[in-house]
Amino acid sequence: MSTTAPPRTVRLRAPRFALALPSIFWYTAFFVVPILLVVVYSFGTKDSSKLVPVDFSNPSTASYGAVFDETFFQVFRSTVRISITATLLCLLIGLPVAYFAAFKVTEKWRAIVLAAVVVPSFTSFLIRTVAWRIPLAPNGVFSKWLQDIGLVGDKGIQILETAGAVQLAIVYNYLGFMILPLYVAFDRIDIRLREASKDLGAGRFSTFFSVTLPLAGPGIAAGVLLTFIPMCGDYVTATVLGGAKGNMIGAMIASQFNQAQNWPLGSAMAVLMIAAVLLTLVVGATIVWLVPKLLMLIEPVTQAWRRARASRPRNVGSKPSSISATADTVLHRTLGVWTALVLVFLFIPVALVFLHSFNRGNSFTIWSYAVSTKWWGELFDGAVFAQTALLFAAIVVAALVARRVLKRRSQFGGGYNAWIVPSGLALALVVNGLITNWYANLFDFSGIGDAIRNSFLAALGATIVAVLLGGSAGVALARRPGRWSTAFMVVVFLILVTPEIMEAIALATWFPRIQDLPIVGHIFTAGWGPFNGGMNKLWVGQSMYASAVVTLIVRARLSGLDESLEQAAADLGAPPARAFRQITLPLIASAMIAGGLLSFALCLDNAVVSSLISEAGSTTFPVALLGATRSTIKPFWGVGAVSLFFVTMASLWFLVVILRRGGASAGNIAATLTGS
Amino acid sequence: MNNEKKQLRILAPESFRRSLSRRAFIQGGTAAAGFAVLLGACGGSDDAATDGGDSGGEATGDYSRVINKSSGSLAMYTWGDYNDPDIIGALAESELGVTMKVDYYPSNEDLITKLAAGAGNSGFDIVVPTGPYIPQMIEKGLIQKLDMSKIPNFVNLDTAYISRDWDPNNEYSVCKNWGSTGYFYNKTKITRKMETWQDFIDACMNEGSGDCAMIDTAPNMCGMWYWANGHNWNDQDAAKLDACEKFLVDEFAQHIKAFDSYPSTKLAEGAYSLAMGWNGDIRQAYSRIADAGGNPDEWVWVLGAPATELWMDTYCVAAGAPNPDAAHAWINWELVPEISIKDLQYHGYNTGLKNMDTLVAELAPDLKLGEMIFFSPDQVATFQTQEITPTLDRMVDIMNKIKAKAGA
Repeated sequence: MSTTAPPRTVRLRAPRFALALPSIFWYTAFFVVPILLVVVYSFGTKDSSKLVPVDFSNPSTASYGAVFDETFFQVFRSTVRISITATLLCLLIGLPVAYFAAFKVTEKWRAIVLAAVVVPSFTSFLIRTVAWRIPLAPNGVFSKWLQDIGLVGDKGIQILETAGAVQLAIVYNYLGFMILPLYVAFDRIDIRLREASKDLGAGRFSTFFSVTLPLAGPGIAAGVLLTFIPMCGDYVTATVLGGAKGNMIGAMIASQFNQAQNWPLGSAMAVLMIAAVLLTLVVGATIVWLVPKLLMLIEPVTQAWRRARASRPRNVGSKPSSISATADTVLHRTLGVWTALVLVFLFIPVALVFLHSFNRGNSFTIWSYAVSTKWWGELFDGAVFAQTALLFAAIVVAALVARRVLKRRSQFGGGYNAWIVPSGLALALVVNGLITNWYANLFDFSGIGDAIRNSFLAALGATIVAVLLGGSAGVALARRPGRWSTAFMVVVFLILVTPEIMEAIALATWFPRIQDLPIVGHIFTAGWGPFNGGMNKLWVGQSMYASAVVTLIVRARLSGLDESLEQAAADLGAPPARAFRQITLPLIASAMIAGGLLSFALCLDNAVVSSLISEAGSTTFPVALLGATRSTIKPFWGVGAVSLFFVTMASLWFLVVILRRGGASAGNIAATLTGS
Repeated sequence: MNNEKKQLRILAPESFRRSLSRRAFIQGGTAAAGFAVLLGACGGSDDAATDGGDSGGEATGDYSRVINKSSGSLAMYTWGDYNDPDIIGALAESELGVTMKVDYYPSNEDLITKLAAGAGNSGFDIVVPTGPYIPQMIEKGLIQKLDMSKIPNFVNLDTAYISRDWDPNNEYSVCKNWGSTGYFYNKTKITRKMETWQDFIDACMNEGSGDCAMIDTAPNMCGMWYWANGHNWNDQDAAKLDACEKFLVDEFAQHIKAFDSYPSTKLAEGAYSLAMGWNGDIRQAYSRIADAGGNPDEWVWVLGAPATELWMDTYCVAAGAPNPDAAHAWINWELVPEISIKDLQYHGYNTGLKNMDTLVAELAPDLKLGEMIFFSPDQVATFQTQEITPTLDRMVDIMNKIKAKAGA
């Protein structure tokens, strides 16, 4: 469309993938090579006398044979069974909720329903999983009540330490990841298409199955991917609830590395697990691809059936409108009740975590029939807490006053004004040492304070890495595609489908190998500045999945906008750097921020990768809690989780306020959050 | 921060703290300021069964009580719930001047993997391996030599718990505590008479099938079979190992409900009606069961018979420890009798100090369930200490198969 000025072509000599270079380097160093190494390990033999307990002197495929051994293979099968069942259950449970939120409620209620779906996931994943032990315990309050009303036998609820408990908790843990993409998909459907379908005489059900559902296909696919893959590699849920019978492959792989010191067997299992996940996805995709084709084959039959149905009301000649209206109300109510039930389900463990943080007794999961703030008192130093709160309030008041004064006097536009409060607040916090020191004095029990601080530091660092890598790679993919982009997208896709446990063992076995390299080794052992080696490892480990997600979000955002704006800027004489800063960056800012939010939430909850690579001094909250689940969990873990919840909510609220001021609507944020 | 406040800060409710200072006052303040903390904290132990009540302050007898102040943070990698929270929290801060960071592992193998992965940079100062694992940790360079001049309180240990085979000159390790292994069952559900490992195995395979938990370590799991059949668990005979594997994998595994090294909480939840366990953890189960509204009298502890384990966990300093000075100070401090007994009351394991009987009588006269902590000479005679032999690898493999089979 535009003519290319000669000087510009000279400037653009860098390879097309130049912007993606940081990502290419990052993924090669911390994903491709470590994973290949795991593949190599799988052909070795166990030798526990060595520091790296693998012997390569006579490579063999014995480990693969061992996986196909009947006993291990059964765990394999049950993992895939649990994951597929859970994915289908999530779909069945989540679909009506997403449908209800998208089509049946007012704007205000929609926001409430969506918030209610998202909010539970800001409580630590692990503590919510542990919290399921409370209502399910055979001696628990709920079980005793069920015994009293005669619903269960004398032994109480017998579901803990079985695959049933794992199934339940897995559905619970991943339901939100199914509902959100489904909602976004429904929300994007042009309502006129549904109306047209109804105007043309299609009933409620035909409209749903022939119009709404096919249009929501991509959302369903996204939801299935977002739930099924993490489920396959889940090792936390099985460890906490599964006992011997609910063992899942993720837990089994982790135990090969941690306990059995059988890296070859663990590696072989991990490799086969990826293969199984890919195979399941291929089978699933084939089914999805085949079903419409098969439906096309029977099209004449269905057409005839539809015609017959459409003509029936006329033959009967009754009052279709009132019947349809009643049916509408019934449907509406049913969907509403269902949604309410699902939301209650989502909030059960969260409510229990809150309740049990006030437990008087000595273990988190056992209710002592007495409320007490003793564990809060033990975790927090009351006086320091009050001081901090007071100081914080004073800073907020000062910032507000400053804003009023400045607003009245200044000639700034509204846009600048909006930044005064947040930046003033941040400045005040830093000056007061609140951000850097608050945790040190606030907690009486320093372990949890450190864990919460480390969680934030790790998630923040990993998010920054993810946004930088994902942002630049996303721009490169959208603006400078080429042969490289296919290969790059394959790696991104692999990162997304590789179960976390595989990445965890890959990195856990990779870091010891690179620690003798000159500079890199130093970063991952001694660290740099205030950040120790363990924290640097966490940034690497947590940034992997997050950066892949950001890459996709940014790419999707830019692909929707053609390059004419940048070209116009170039035509007007802007050098590429300036065009990037003034045109491209603002275009992708919202996608990067939304991707960053999602990364932050994911990293904050990261237990699998973190627990395998973390070290003393970089223990995050989920890692510390995972350690504690091996013996008795004291109620102060609940207190820690609740505190973490409030701090997370506050930071997110802060970000959303900034985003709102920056012009992004809440709906946009939600849509981008789900990666669509 | 007000120094006095910090010294008296213990992990107990405010009301209790007040009563504690009053009590210290009434007793006439004979104890030194530091021990006023100890005194109160002894009563502040947070389990009913481990609540020792008032202690008599400082023990008589000839003990070394050197406390070396240190500073900074001290990272300990240890077994779950293995120290009194007061000691690793407020007391370590006020008495030693160090801030403890504690992480937990469930088995010696986990510990070794973590340290090996860090290869001298794991960031941990103190680790707590079980004695027999020490030689291979030395060989792999995972722990460093101790500077015994910084551990003068070492003389407080009973000679029975020093100079063990795995570290004959205590160059690398100091006894933290020791204990044994047995099982615990609900007599309303398991009504037969239970005395030996064989009884336990039979119960697990019959009325307790699908309702029993096993310690999640390979040597304990296989050891159970050896002891039940009258063998020494250090026997390296291949035929016995094969028989052990055959029985445990093919016949026994399917009855197991969970692999759980710390069953006390889950016993209280009602998750199992019988469980293999270490004496200290099972002792805590009594109070947890009471907490959960259950009846502790329904539960019976049986020390494994005809033979069972004697394990000893030791304090070692990790190779490349960031703060070895604090690590030595900690090990030394844990050997101060008052601290040691306070820890003992919490976790329920014998800490191995000399003249333990007198010490307990003086410092913790109300100690409950002492028979689960201190064993008679007849019982100790049946104890076998694990030796690390090539069979360990095989046992780990057997455990691996048991787990796979149990999940099937």
